[in-house]
Amino acid sequence: MNFKKMIMLLLLLLLIGLVGCGKETEDNDTTNLQMVYWPGPESDAMQKVVDEYNETQGKEDKVNVEMVLISRDGTFEKQATMMSSESDEVDMYFTASYILGQHAPYLEPLGDDLDFDVYLDAAIDSLEIEGEKYAIPMDASTHFMFYRTDYIERLLEDENWKRKYRELSKEILNEEIDPKHPDEWSWDDYIVASAFFTEEVNSESPTKYGTILQMKNLFLNIFLWDNILWSEGGGWFDEQGEVILDSPEAKKAMEVYNTIYEAGYTTPDSTVAEFPEAQAAFSSGNIAFLVQWGTGFDELNNEDQSPNTANKVGIAPVPGKKIHVHGQGIGINKYSDKKEESLKWMEYLTTNKANEIYAEHGGITAVPEVMENFDKNPLLAEISKHIQEYGYYEPTLLETNQILQILADELSPAWVGEVESEDALLEAKNRIESLMND
Amino acid sequence: MDMKNDRFTKLLLNLPLILFLVLLVVFPAVYALIISFYDVSLSKSTKGFQGLGNYLKIITNKSFWSSIFFSVKYTAISLFIQIILGFLIALLFNRTFPGKKILMSIMLMPIMIAPSLMGIMYRLLLNENIGVLTELFKKVGITMSLFSNEMVFPLLIVLDALQWTPFVFLILYSALQGIDKTLYEAASVDGATKWKQVINITIPSIFPIIIIVSFLRGIDAFRTFDVIYVLTSGGPGTATTTISIFLYKLGFKDGSFSLAAASSIIVIMLLMLIMPLFVKKIVRN
Repeated sequence: MNFKKMIMLLLLLLLIGLVGCGKETEDNDTTNLQMVYWPGPESDAMQKVVDEYNETQGKEDKVNVEMVLISRDGTFEKQATMMSSESDEVDMYFTASYILGQHAPYLEPLGDDLDFDVYLDAAIDSLEIEGEKYAIPMDASTHFMFYRTDYIERLLEDENWKRKYRELSKEILNEEIDPKHPDEWSWDDYIVASAFFTEEVNSESPTKYGTILQMKNLFLNIFLWDNILWSEGGGWFDEQGEVILDSPEAKKAMEVYNTIYEAGYTTPDSTVAEFPEAQAAFSSGNIAFLVQWGTGFDELNNEDQSPNTANKVGIAPVPGKKIHVHGQGIGINKYSDKKEESLKWMEYLTTNKANEIYAEHGGITAVPEVMENFDKNPLLAEISKHIQEYGYYEPTLLETNQILQILADELSPAWVGEVESEDALLEAKNRIESLMND
Repeated sequence: MDMKNDRFTKLLLNLPLILFLVLLVVFPAVYALIISFYDVSLSKSTKGFQGLGNYLKIITNKSFWSSIFFSVKYTAISLFIQIILGFLIALLFNRTFPGKKILMSIMLMPIMIAPSLMGIMYRLLLNENIGVLTELFKKVGITMSLFSNEMVFPLLIVLDALQWTPFVFLILYSALQGIDKTLYEAASVDGATKWKQVINITIPSIFPIIIIVSFLRGIDAFRTFDVIYVLTSGGPGTATTTISIFLYKLGFKDGSFSLAAASSIIVIMLLMLIMPLFVKKIVRN
């Protein structure tokens, strides 16, 4: 091919490449908003809200919303890349209270423009840093204890079972206790019941293990462990802001996990267990109860997905009655040039109508007025009640995500006996102190 | 004039590749080097100059060295097993037998599966409660937990071998085809046993290829991320955290881009200590 033809061909290829780089043009003064959302049940529910808005209120506001879906596992990582490049490619980001610290420098503070009072306190307050709110919650994520109603009913009625339970409690706790309804369990009850429902310990157990602990090195599993820590009266920091992870309360929280794991009341595969493994353990009928994310209930109680456990799943508060809550929602990109339009869309999202549509399609809304009057999913009323009575949230700081990672790295080896719990807690404390002083 | 046009044409034809390398290799490497001297993190809007501060933080971080040690251990053991197995399988296939082509196609299937998909697949197959493989193991009396502290490392080695031994096999099998058959005939005439022929003819003949495939698999095994992250997330605890998982968590979970960049540079410098040995061996052979 001669030289000139080659130049022309390369220029043509370059031109074709550049054609794809143009920005979307807007039509009839309607502003298109690009909103990143989390693929999965949350985005399925949100799509219905988006569709409704675009057909109704959106026309008045002259705003059209489009969802941008990145892979579920990589949403925050990909957002991190977009945020750090100060891109205006999207107008709204998906965020959560545990990662808000990383996102806040890239989100527009919401000021007082929206009606935050419609939300559960724990859900909206957890999306605030240093007095500024950066996002509104679309989902309130929290924990429950799910248990086999058939087994617990028998435990409370059968004299032989009660006798065996008392024997085990004497061995484990050095005191005899009677079985109680799960609504009243402490962590000691949880340990004894785990033993009772483990077939190696109790040959009459209908399940292989009492429970499953989610011990994978994952920051989300720290939230489950935090329930024990908070219920013992502990936390990450004291009122003066000092790190208190080496407190007696933290040691007691570690003891609960160590006792259950080392005694074999949970599967050894707990070392790599998180949400899906816990679901599989319960729905297969191999465990009697577990502490799990609220979103797990539907699957466990569904006749097609979990025939072994459908209609036999009871809901109780997490033992110790301290329940982690975090909000998941959306904030406005600081570098977007469509902030006003984004606020209009967010105003719609604070309405009961938007949240009803969200709940109707599987979302766990954070608006108590909707949650408590939603007949199609009575679990929402339970969630609202639990959050208001027992909910707490970890401090929402710029460093929260890093603290969670430190805790996951330092505590998960201790949960499985790789290192001593006291050493792990001390190391975690030192690392967090160093991080806060940085 | 013709020669000038010729040179220019060659440059122009190579331009897309040069652009690709500059954009996707050179620029990120240079940018990583630059930010490794600053404090660039997702949660901080200021980017102060740190000098060698990030490097010092990483060098004194015991988790960094644990992950390096784990990656080296994982690489050494995986490589050893895969080279031996791949070579033995290549020897077995180095003859004519019925069904050879079909068997070979089946052998090569694992390398066509994305590593992350392998991780997801085994996460389901080995699940204690719903896993098909776990049920089969129980039926033959194997009830141990494959994800316990003791078993998780051997499990990862086995899974890596299942996926990548076929790759080693393929390369070594191809190398075996290039050996002059008359050497074996002469050796047979001299009374050499099959094993003596393997030791004295086969292995020396394909030794350069063994070095190359060891180099390729070694690099791959050292930077393993997908399967381990999906299966164990670097756990139990941090027991299976490879250097790639360490870097990923540092960059994307902690949002500490500078520290992750500094870690990457240190890893490159460590690899530069042994890479020249391999390259020299490959070039010499």
